[in-house]
Amino acid sequence: MPAADSHRPLVLTPTEDIRGFLTLHLGRAALFLVTCTSVLAVFLIFLFVIREALPFLAKFSIKEFLTSTAWYPEAVTPKFGTLALLVGSGYVTVVSIIFAVPVGILAAVFLSDIVSMKIRNIIKPIIEILAAIPSVAYGFFAVMVLAPWMQQKFGFSTGTNALNASLVLAVMALPTIISVSEDSISAIGRELREASYGCGATRMETIFKVVIPAAHSGIIAGIVLGMMRAIGETMVVWMASGNAAQIPSPWWDLSQSVRTLTATIAGDMGETEKGSPHYRALFAAGLLLLVITLCLNMVSEYFLIRAKKAGGKH
Amino acid sequence: MRPGIRIAIDKIFTVVAGASVVCLCLVLVAVLGPMLWRGGSAVVFKGTVEFRQMQLVLFGRGDEDKIVAESKQAQIARAKIYSTIERFKGGIDSGNLIEKARQIYRQFGNDLRQTNMSAEDVAELRSVTRQIRDRLESAFASSNTAEVNESLAYVLNFKDDPRFKNTSAAGLIGLAEQYSKDIQGINLAERQRYYQEIRQVEDILVELLGPAPGAATPALMMNRFGATRWDLAQKLLGRLLWYEEWIKQGPEQPMIRRLTPRSQRFAGTEIEGLFTYIQQNLPEMLRPRPTFYWQYFIDDSTPGHYFGGVGPEILGTLLLTVLAMLFVVPFGVISAAYLVECASDNFVMRIIRMSINTLAGVPSIIFGLFGLAFFVLFFLPIFGAPSKGCILAASMTLAVLTLPVMIRASEEAIRAVPQTYKEASLALGASRFHTFVKVTLPAALPGILTGVILSLSRVAGETAPVLFTGAVALGPVPKSIFDPTRTLSYGSYDMAVGDKLAAMVPHNQFGMVVTLVLLILCLNTVAIILRSRVFKKLAGH
Repeated sequence: MPAADSHRPLVLTPTEDIRGFLTLHLGRAALFLVTCTSVLAVFLIFLFVIREALPFLAKFSIKEFLTSTAWYPEAVTPKFGTLALLVGSGYVTVVSIIFAVPVGILAAVFLSDIVSMKIRNIIKPIIEILAAIPSVAYGFFAVMVLAPWMQQKFGFSTGTNALNASLVLAVMALPTIISVSEDSISAIGRELREASYGCGATRMETIFKVVIPAAHSGIIAGIVLGMMRAIGETMVVWMASGNAAQIPSPWWDLSQSVRTLTATIAGDMGETEKGSPHYRALFAAGLLLLVITLCLNMVSEYFLIRAKKAGGKH
Repeated sequence: MRPGIRIAIDKIFTVVAGASVVCLCLVLVAVLGPMLWRGGSAVVFKGTVEFRQMQLVLFGRGDEDKIVAESKQAQIARAKIYSTIERFKGGIDSGNLIEKARQIYRQFGNDLRQTNMSAEDVAELRSVTRQIRDRLESAFASSNTAEVNESLAYVLNFKDDPRFKNTSAAGLIGLAEQYSKDIQGINLAERQRYYQEIRQVEDILVELLGPAPGAATPALMMNRFGATRWDLAQKLLGRLLWYEEWIKQGPEQPMIRRLTPRSQRFAGTEIEGLFTYIQQNLPEMLRPRPTFYWQYFIDDSTPGHYFGGVGPEILGTLLLTVLAMLFVVPFGVISAAYLVECASDNFVMRIIRMSINTLAGVPSIIFGLFGLAFFVLFFLPIFGAPSKGCILAASMTLAVLTLPVMIRASEEAIRAVPQTYKEASLALGASRFHTFVKVTLPAALPGILTGVILSLSRVAGETAPVLFTGAVALGPVPKSIFDPTRTLSYGSYDMAVGDKLAAMVPHNQFGMVVTLVLLILCLNTVAIILRSRVFKKLAGH
């Protein structure tokens, strides 16, 4: 600051005062507008997906769209029933979560309660690397390595099936499940654990009867986030699930091919004509997917807020 | 329960929990191991002389004189194969032989017309020659050795006939002599089978050694060179040495594969020994040498992904990610700054936070749809750009996708700056804006940089959002940001599933995906190291 300034009185002139006031508030408003980009982005995503899907929803019956299993978009009288695709999405997601949850929770408990900080700092980057590997690389692995191995080892008629996709999705969901669960388990304070040990409980009893019940909100949030990752995943299921639009029967046979919503959108969009019913139906399917993930997102938010409160209490 | 059992169960639990983490590590090894191992062979492998020729022709790389000399030496070793097969085929290719005989006969007829012999003489000579030709043809076509020998003997009777001396008809007799030599040791009944199988052998040889000398240069670049890699050559050698048959076991049963040595299929002929010769002299013919093909990362590929590298894919990926970062970093950092510095906990802020969380949860394929509907079909036409997938649309889509990642990372970084920094600055009379720009931001910069790198790695690996907005599997290198581009991520997908040609070059399939994974792992490693340093530094205060 120049020396001359120090002779000035501390009181600002009215112009300076107004200018300062304006810059502060205008600056704030500008920052606020930039921050609103995210809101705008979400708004635009909904707007444009709905805009492209609307003509379809107006023309075709929504009930048939949701309850029919016939997905023949290029037939002479096209049929757009997404039930088989929905079931396919749900099927691989649920199976992958069944694989991932036990491993994920055990790993989270192991990292937070069992090993020392040193080993934890070694394992954490491994989980981060698992999370960082792009989905197309997982898909590549599923098709080029896992599928031939499965076909050879188990004698499946095709290596690209629900089991393959679910296994790979489980691996992809694991980092999310582990890190969110571990955060909430770590957030449970020492007091609870020490009280449990003080009562003579072993470590396992403490974990299962005290720590996990106390941290259940965070763990559920982690599982829901993992599910979101699995249901929204495109490349892996597109490459590894076999892409046969059918409801698996019998339901427990994992060696069948399934087709998911995401894979259908990704696979069909390249071949459709812009503005055709098929194109609009794919946007409608995208809207359906968007709504599903939005609901899951709200569930996870709810549990995350509860987990934060539970963690804050101790 | 007794304490002993409880403790035992506790111990078992510890082991099981540990096993789950070990299982994670094993999964990581199982995913990355085969990829790195097989993908690495795209860069480090044993290159043959064909590889060096390919490099010379396609990329003008290497010492031309040396390569020509080397390929000459290789040709010397190969010459025996071609001459043997040529001889063998001479004995069995009856269609070709018959055609030759007819040609000679026709030629002879033309010659006769120009001589000044009497018409009767000409007619007689003609009928004799026709007889010779017919016998020769029946010899070529017959599979009965006695019959063949009889016909040949008839033809060879005319060997010293003065009428044929120095005329074109002598060619017929020469043909007969050659044929009688060639068929020694050939079982004529199997001639048809020999003919088909020698064609197979020739086809494999073209793949192994390139086009035979003297053959026309194939139109497709991939057919102009033999096996460029020693591992490929070994595979082809296996196919050459073993004859593969699929045998039906019965109705409703899967066929089984049976392999017989090809030399057995040609037992008793000259070809039989050829296989051992090839097996023993293959290094001589291909001259494998350890090669470090680092240009894999800069070379264009042709045709498809058959030869060459992943240069355009790397370029495209970098273009997309850098552009996306240019869009997203200002928005991300400013949003984060506002959220940390100015935001109070009111309704509007809750909506903003919810939007960020929602954006983070939107599946990547929806971003693809959004990018198509908004950027490609709506946004670009507003500014008069052609409404097709291009780098600009793809990178903007990716920018939206990575916005929440960027905001969260920057927010965390800005929050981590100790309150005392700000207070000291404010106490000196700096305005809040000045404090943020001069004090908080520099302190948070490494953290923000970590966020940028993590977003970069996420953007580089995303495939679904660029599917409809600007990625192509094959195409020219983009000239402007209004052209579509090849990317590593889409390329990996395409090579694994879409591209039939790529299945023939597994090293290139794995090479593509490994390049992507390595790029991302490097970025992540940098981010992890940077973050731990920042953490230590800020914790010190």
